Amino acid sequence: MIKTFVTTYLKKTCNGSNIKRHVTSYQYSTQIRSERSILYKSNKWEAIIGLEVHAQLNSKTKLFSLSSASFNEPVNTNVSVIDAAFPGTLPKLNAKCVELAVAASLALSGNVQLVSSFDRKQYFYPDLPPGYQITQHYAPISLGGKIFLNNLDGLEYDTVVRIKQIQLEQDTGKSIHDIVPGMTLIDLNRAGTGLIEIVTEPDMRTSKEAGLTVKKLQAILRAIGSSDGNMEEGSLRCDVNVSVHEHETPYGTRCEIKNLNSIKFLMAAIDVEIERQIKELENGNKIVQETRGFDVLKNKTFRLRTKETATDYRYMPEPDLSPLILNKDYITRISNNLPELPDDLKTRIMKQYGIPLHDVIVLMNETGGVKYFEKAVKNRNPQHVSNWITHELFGLLHARNIKFSQNPVSALQLGSVVDCVDNGDITGKVGKKILEKMISGDSRLASIIIQDEGLRQLSDINELEKICQDVILQNPEQLRSFKGGKQTVFAWFVGQVMNKTKGQANPKLVNEILRKLL
Amino acid sequence: MNCLQRIIFLSNFSNKKYIFSYALTNPRCKLSFLSVTKAQDLLQQKKVTSVTLVRDCFSQISKYNARLNAFIKVQNENVALEKAIEADDRFNKGIIKGPLDGIPITYKDNFCTKELSTTCDFISPFNATIVDLLQDSGAIMIGKTNMDEFGMGAFGPAYNPHTIISDQKDSIDQEPRVAGGSSGGSAAAVASGMCFASLGSDTGGSIRLPASYCGVIGFKPSYGQCSRWGLVAYASSLDTVGIITRNVHDAQLIYDIISKYDEKDPSSLPPKLRSINASLASFEKTNSNFTDLSKLRVGIPQEYYVSELSDPIKSLWKRGISLLRSYGATIVSVSCPSTRYALPAYYILAPAEASSNLARYDGVRYGHRSDMDSKQDEELLYAHTRSEGFGEEVKRRILLGTYTLTAGSYNNYFIYAQRIRKMVQSNFDSVFRRPNPLHLVKNESSSFYNRNSDEIFEISNKLRNESHGVDVIMTPVAISTSPKVKDSLSSSFLSNSDNAKNLDDNSFVNAYVNDVFTIPANLAGIPAISVPFGISPIDGFPIGLQLMTQYGDEHTLFYISKVLENNR
Repeated sequence: MIKTFVTTYLKKTCNGSNIKRHVTSYQYSTQIRSERSILYKSNKWEAIIGLEVHAQLNSKTKLFSLSSASFNEPVNTNVSVIDAAFPGTLPKLNAKCVELAVAASLALSGNVQLVSSFDRKQYFYPDLPPGYQITQHYAPISLGGKIFLNNLDGLEYDTVVRIKQIQLEQDTGKSIHDIVPGMTLIDLNRAGTGLIEIVTEPDMRTSKEAGLTVKKLQAILRAIGSSDGNMEEGSLRCDVNVSVHEHETPYGTRCEIKNLNSIKFLMAAIDVEIERQIKELENGNKIVQETRGFDVLKNKTFRLRTKETATDYRYMPEPDLSPLILNKDYITRISNNLPELPDDLKTRIMKQYGIPLHDVIVLMNETGGVKYFEKAVKNRNPQHVSNWITHELFGLLHARNIKFSQNPVSALQLGSVVDCVDNGDITGKVGKKILEKMISGDSRLASIIIQDEGLRQLSDINELEKICQDVILQNPEQLRSFKGGKQTVFAWFVGQVMNKTKGQANPKLVNEILRKLL
Repeated sequence: MNCLQRIIFLSNFSNKKYIFSYALTNPRCKLSFLSVTKAQDLLQQKKVTSVTLVRDCFSQISKYNARLNAFIKVQNENVALEKAIEADDRFNKGIIKGPLDGIPITYKDNFCTKELSTTCDFISPFNATIVDLLQDSGAIMIGKTNMDEFGMGAFGPAYNPHTIISDQKDSIDQEPRVAGGSSGGSAAAVASGMCFASLGSDTGGSIRLPASYCGVIGFKPSYGQCSRWGLVAYASSLDTVGIITRNVHDAQLIYDIISKYDEKDPSSLPPKLRSINASLASFEKTNSNFTDLSKLRVGIPQEYYVSELSDPIKSLWKRGISLLRSYGATIVSVSCPSTRYALPAYYILAPAEASSNLARYDGVRYGHRSDMDSKQDEELLYAHTRSEGFGEEVKRRILLGTYTLTAGSYNNYFIYAQRIRKMVQSNFDSVFRRPNPLHLVKNESSSFYNRNSDEIFEISNKLRNESHGVDVIMTPVAISTSPKVKDSLSSSFLSNSDNAKNLDDNSFVNAYVNDVFTIPANLAGIPAISVPFGISPIDGFPIGLQLMTQYGDEHTLFYISKVLENNR
């Protein structure tokens, strides 16, 4: 009962039909919060959502050791004595990780701290060799910050999600439970890799807001190169805190949902958790503070551990590492070198090239996509170039399972395809074939391929007239049915001509000639 | 070359007459009782070979180690001799590796060495930085010395060698005594001529206490001067590498080799701070004459005059004071009011860090693993392994540390203890004449580096407590001479279950009192040394005096230590 109600309601909210207001300024206050009350079930319940996002830092080496931080390597090959916590080893802070964390903090309008420090979060687990994780519990590297959401992100209104803090910390190794039955296998390649944990305030009200917040975060981290932000590969991981309360009453007890590995699942988990909590409360039960998991197949959250059984992490200042002291010049330098951030980039690209928001978003979803576009678009029709990239190139790459970062087609090559199609040398169809050749490793420009392989479009009117005439004469039956008023046969004739010319005939001319002849 | 020949041979260039007189009858006739400096001189003059030195040490080991329990592992003699032959080759060719070339030394078993296994039951794939530095200067490792488990203890597992090696055996109480902890093996080995020097560690007095008990020099440098890379951690913020030798000059010699910035140790003092430290004024720099100490100000902290202090130690302390006064030094009564809280603060901070540092010994990757934990009981993956693997004192400290770090008690214990530690530090800062170089750069580490040395000098002068500050603090090391084995609580001696039964719960706390004089230097990170200064008239066992100086002022420490040493 409730389930159908809530889900239909959610669909409505996502379409924006039940949103009461639009925020126009970026300031945030409780006033704005209460204005944007998004209520579930008879306008009674409001959901309060906060995120903890772990993003793997894009550094060559780990946070405290010199072993490689790249993953997809054979198991237990990127492990140093420090990562495996040999007795007598000491951590050594990686300056690159600090730089990436500072860049991320600045991009999120965080207040980078001149003095921060490291702490040990202690718990026993086989994939955590020292028995503690080095993190920043008491004095994180950045406090505050904001993520803005607006129509550029696909939200019907404007809002802002405040960031509580950003902390530098180590990743753990991986426990693999399902390869050998009855055994847990440990891979320490990831152990000690640098992460930033971004903790938001509970400023989100719907799963859509949460989903868009993560998306925006991904875009920002990718733009500044701090993290790949790839949820599927685990370079970005989300925990979410959800509580519900009756509107205009204090916040309810929250539950944390852990290990959500895609935005889709994040949103689904939030929706079912809101629904579960409302149901519990309406049945007169209390919400217990606990950690929950999300079962994708059952579309349900389930209890992992309650507060009573929660680990006491015994946070302790890390005695091996002195406080991290940054100076203002260092922060200013990083700030000055920050690339264009997603919002500015979006606005600029739309304005400068006149392409729609959707295209810009698709371009931005791939690291380096916008840069590629801007390289290819010089002296060309921006919309055409965008179409060729976002539809044809991305489509072909995706079909062949090639990442955009491994895209073999240079911007120059892609531009040459657009040129040849636009000036009528080839048809779009042939252009697509040429692009396929390029993806397969052909590094020639389109014009050269056309010349070498005789793919130039047939635009000679005399020759085309002759072919059209031949087709008409060879198909008296179709001619008759056309004359009899069956207009669709016209397209059939065009097709026949195209077939005969192996797709090289200029379709516009063929149309004109056939009209004339028929 | 037999012993007699060797002694006669030595008499040609040794000023120390006693070597001659002890010939044959005294165990100290061995070459391995020479100082490092003297031995190095003889090696360079080719009057003695490294092979002889190594053989001498091994003969002492084979003679006494079974009684003293000073070593955990003794290096294969042939391996050590091979290195000695190489060293002798170098001496013949005149290419000397360094000031320790051909000198047999030992390491406490908590230093990682590639050649011999290390405590916590593993063979390290790397050498501790200080091991590499000493090897590079030619030192030959002949073994790893015994210690309290993970450095936790004041008694150690080794027996005090004084009964064997003393030249006045008759006046010595013959009941077995402890060498002290936790670097007891190192102190016993150095005192009994099994090696020329030994590297140990000092977290709360682990170098100085056994040095005082065994009558050798025990030196703990400032925190951050010597790399901790490869030192098995007990309490990281207090652990320091320490040196045990038979004279001050040897300790200084070794200190100069191992006091180097190490990028592998994040707490290692960076080169810029080292040069700032070197640019600061100190007593040692301005005083050139050992017999004139009129510019020296010696602090005597009144809080160290505790009720537990035994009479022989009291009178020795007084003798030290009058000695320095006789050289013209000004004796100043100073106050370190936080001293009385230092001991409890230490026993909160050190176990807290230990509980964390020892979490890695979980039996998952190596080491002991309980059969009970291998059963399919997910809840207890480590409990049995850790309960069986750790000794009683280690478990006691892990539990204590775990408790003080829990959410409910962190603010009541750990935070207070840290505050006391800060108080101890600022107490010392207000007592010493020399400014603490670490505070000169506090809060503006970057901008300070840009200042020129004149400016630094100016600032440091402003901060100098010129009128009332002291250059050195002198205190006892221990409240008594070496405790009798039957009175000690060392777990290795306690295997005798009769002893264990006699202990009440307070005994463990009482045992911690042994560290009362040594702990403040660890909390403050300042250098401290135990210099043997006399023999107790009651039991005939050695007593050391402790000297402490401002952070980074090791040179003044050595300077005054030599004065004590020359007048013991």
